[in-house]
Amino acid sequence: MESAEDWLVESLRLYQDFHAFDLSGATRVLEWMGDKGILVAGYESLKKNEILHLILPLRLSVKENQGLFPERDFKVRHGGFSDRSVFALKHVPDTRLLVTSGLPGCYLQVWQVAEDTDVIKAVSTIDVHETEGSLWSRVAIFSSAAPGVLHGVRLSSLKVVDLESQKTTYTSGVGDSELLSSLQVLDADTFAFCCTSGRLGLVDTRQKWAPAEYLGPSPGSAGGRWCAAAGGRGPGPSIASLGSDGQLCLLDPRDLCHPVSSVQCPVSTPSPDPELLQVTWAPGLDLCLAISGFDGTVQVYDVTSWDGMWGRVDPLFTHRGHIFLDDNGVDTAPLVTTHTWHPDKPRTLLSAASDASLHVWDWVDLRASC
Amino acid sequence: MLLSHVVHTAATEVCFPSPLSVLQGEGPRASCGAGAGQDVGRSCILVSIGGKNVMLDCGMHMGFSDDRRFPDFSYITRNGRLTDFLDCVIISHFHLDHCGALPYFSEMVGYDGPIYMTQPTQAICPILLEDYRKIAVDKKGEANFFTSQMIKDCMKKVVAVHLHQTVQVDDELEIKAYYAGHVLGAAMFQIKVGSESVVYTGDYNMTPDRHLGAAWIDKCRPNLLITESTYATTIRDSKRCRERDFLKKVHETVERGGKVLIPVFALGRAQELCILLETFWERMDLKAPIYFSTGLTEKANHYYKLFIPWTNQKIRKTFVQRNMFEFKHIKAFDRAFADSPGPMVVFATPGMLHAGQSLQIFRKWAGSERNMVIMPGYCVQGTVGHKILSGQRKLEMEGRQVLEVKMQVEYMSFSAHADAKGIMQLVGQAEPENVLLVHGEAKKMEFLKQKIEQEFRVSCYMPANGETVTLSTSPSIPVGISLGLLKREMAQGLLPDAKKPRLLHGTLIMKDSNFRLVSSEQALKELGLAEHQLRFTCRVHLHDTRKEQETALRVYSHLKSVLKDHCVQHLPDGSVTVESILIQAAAHSEDPSTKVLLVSWTYQDEELGSYLTSLLKKGLPQAS
Repeated sequence: MESAEDWLVESLRLYQDFHAFDLSGATRVLEWMGDKGILVAGYESLKKNEILHLILPLRLSVKENQGLFPERDFKVRHGGFSDRSVFALKHVPDTRLLVTSGLPGCYLQVWQVAEDTDVIKAVSTIDVHETEGSLWSRVAIFSSAAPGVLHGVRLSSLKVVDLESQKTTYTSGVGDSELLSSLQVLDADTFAFCCTSGRLGLVDTRQKWAPAEYLGPSPGSAGGRWCAAAGGRGPGPSIASLGSDGQLCLLDPRDLCHPVSSVQCPVSTPSPDPELLQVTWAPGLDLCLAISGFDGTVQVYDVTSWDGMWGRVDPLFTHRGHIFLDDNGVDTAPLVTTHTWHPDKPRTLLSAASDASLHVWDWVDLRASC
Repeated sequence: MLLSHVVHTAATEVCFPSPLSVLQGEGPRASCGAGAGQDVGRSCILVSIGGKNVMLDCGMHMGFSDDRRFPDFSYITRNGRLTDFLDCVIISHFHLDHCGALPYFSEMVGYDGPIYMTQPTQAICPILLEDYRKIAVDKKGEANFFTSQMIKDCMKKVVAVHLHQTVQVDDELEIKAYYAGHVLGAAMFQIKVGSESVVYTGDYNMTPDRHLGAAWIDKCRPNLLITESTYATTIRDSKRCRERDFLKKVHETVERGGKVLIPVFALGRAQELCILLETFWERMDLKAPIYFSTGLTEKANHYYKLFIPWTNQKIRKTFVQRNMFEFKHIKAFDRAFADSPGPMVVFATPGMLHAGQSLQIFRKWAGSERNMVIMPGYCVQGTVGHKILSGQRKLEMEGRQVLEVKMQVEYMSFSAHADAKGIMQLVGQAEPENVLLVHGEAKKMEFLKQKIEQEFRVSCYMPANGETVTLSTSPSIPVGISLGLLKREMAQGLLPDAKKPRLLHGTLIMKDSNFRLVSSEQALKELGLAEHQLRFTCRVHLHDTRKEQETALRVYSHLKSVLKDHCVQHLPDGSVTVESILIQAAAHSEDPSTKVLLVSWTYQDEELGSYLTSLLKKGLPQAS
């Protein structure tokens, strides 16, 4: 087992930049606000949680003369308190509003990020009618002049609510009670959903419910829990679906019924907390995605030429920082709770873990240096 | 008619509000230099506590070249002399934004009182001040600056303190230094007058690094904790990542055959970086030589001797005790090596590239893109260090020679400050009643204020520069109770109940800052006074045509039957007594059918006396 110092030496060649921070509380959300700030929020159940708006260290934002900027710290630009655990947080683009979802109580909280002070204040709530106490609503934002909040716990309760008037502008209208695991807005009229069963679809809100769908892995397969993400860049499949048994499926939105490939990722299974599973597409690289939620690592995959690929694959890069920099001792290895890509810097990611660590890392594509 | 009487009561605690005020000297954070992040603050805080006035730090604002760099000391007192007004000055550590204005303050404005600081601070301050003076006067040609002699005279007023040692400034004011981490010799100070206290943190660090431990304070529960808030709204990158960045830069440079120059001040940071390089050179099996310039060696040895006893106090975890020059991979530098080809790393003084060996080496290496200079700290305006950190690539040297800087310039910050998390930790350790954040902007710290107030149930203040904060405290004043008085109270039966307060009567004597509660008799005795007796007399008119003696007899019979619990007596002279109360009957001077009863009692029998009077006023029962 490598020591922290050995890993640090290794890291000299594995990463360009690497920053490690300790938040006062672990977060399950990493949401961008502009291209210089991110939002994090706590999810503890018995105490007050903090919602923080953090500004990235200056040296990560400047384009030139990086060496003249010694500051490597996050700046807490705004902060607020939440009595509930926060499991999802979305920023409403072009506004100073945030929407969070959590427990207890299945409702969405709307927050305002103040302009003249550093306070994030709760301003209103959006009702979600769900009877089961332990389920929380997924959230996505339709950004427009009149922003709408897409939310739902199940397919049947999927709704879009106008943020200002609180009027419902869309409902799925179906009786299907399958549980949702991911919701993602794709453009002004379309969104993607993924159910815990692996069933996913693309919905046009202008029509009555008739999504293009992938019904999920064959009923014979082990089950487990699934999540998905759309938005792959470059030619080829742009939807990825990740299962708690380590299966990664790629789909083409033009033909959802037939997955392009289905591979097995080398992860420890089953995932200790399948709700934390996450797959994301790199906004700055073609056909590149990242997965997390199985252990203390984030794995990056290059999916070019995965067409028709089945069987095992190897990651292009594995971020092990959360395991090696864990100062908490032996007890339980930390679990990565969420990760996100930097919107502008192609190979920079942020990842957070259950030990309240937050890393910003820029990995080196070792193939390029050959 | 009743005289109101004086009742001596005394509580065991006397409370009165005693304002504790804090005046914050000017200290905005200003950035100078094009985006180089050369942020500089200036600390100077005045605290008034229990009638004492203490000045905390005396920093210079290096961003200004005129009088704005000095704090405005006229804020302190407009009329009196500073020496009379201030009881002492405390300096937390040797950084110029905390001590830079000290010689100006003591020698040019005028202060002759004591200046307290730790020993390492005392040793290092004059060197930094002299360096700074040289740069300001020789390089920038400034007038109205303090002289070398002034620095010496100023330091003569310094009294060095040890960690955790209570120092009596005078009869009432005491101070104590706590380990602050941050830099060698940095301390947090507790200032105490009677039962009121303030803790000033200066700059501190809650995470240990390779050569200094973390700040530590006991649960001293001060009325007020004053802490820097400059970094309060930051979340610090881990030490490991900072080190990694340094290593990566050095490694990349030597890998491509380049030379790395690291200008350092003699101590602390240099040692830290050496330990780091040594560790990783070993691990990575690197061959490029690392040198330490000789000027550094001499000074370092001297400070190292100071260092060791200091770092033995309350340091946690990893301090590596070593002789500075037992490094396997680090050798003494010879100036001829600067011309040797091939990669190398050199630590050289002085730290701001303003003179000496580091500047010489810089001039030799600046022309190659393969080389790198790493500046590990803030550089004062006017130095070459400051210029290159501002992005300047063409420098005018002596004799109008222009030096083109092609080497890579890296600015790295190794200095350790407490961030938001660190401040919460310290507040948790000290448990103050109030917290005061200095050098921040109130509007930008509303969240932090709420966080502190909620977590610790304290009040949090964020004064603007030049503002005064006044706090009310409730000091407790101890009063000694005489044993005799206690015993007497106990003898009255009824043991004291922890939940029900019992009224204790005594006399409070204040003498020589001493408070005692004693019995009245003892007080009279001590004061040499005779006890006065107070006797009240009341007249009650009764309609009775009989003779006085018979009236008296009627009174006697009546009282005897009503006051069964008291001793009622009929004296031979006709008067009636109830306990010590005397009742006499007399004829009214003008009206024979009216009798006047004279009821008289001592003030101790007030209650009974009043009762008797009202009873008698109701009249006597008809005689049989």
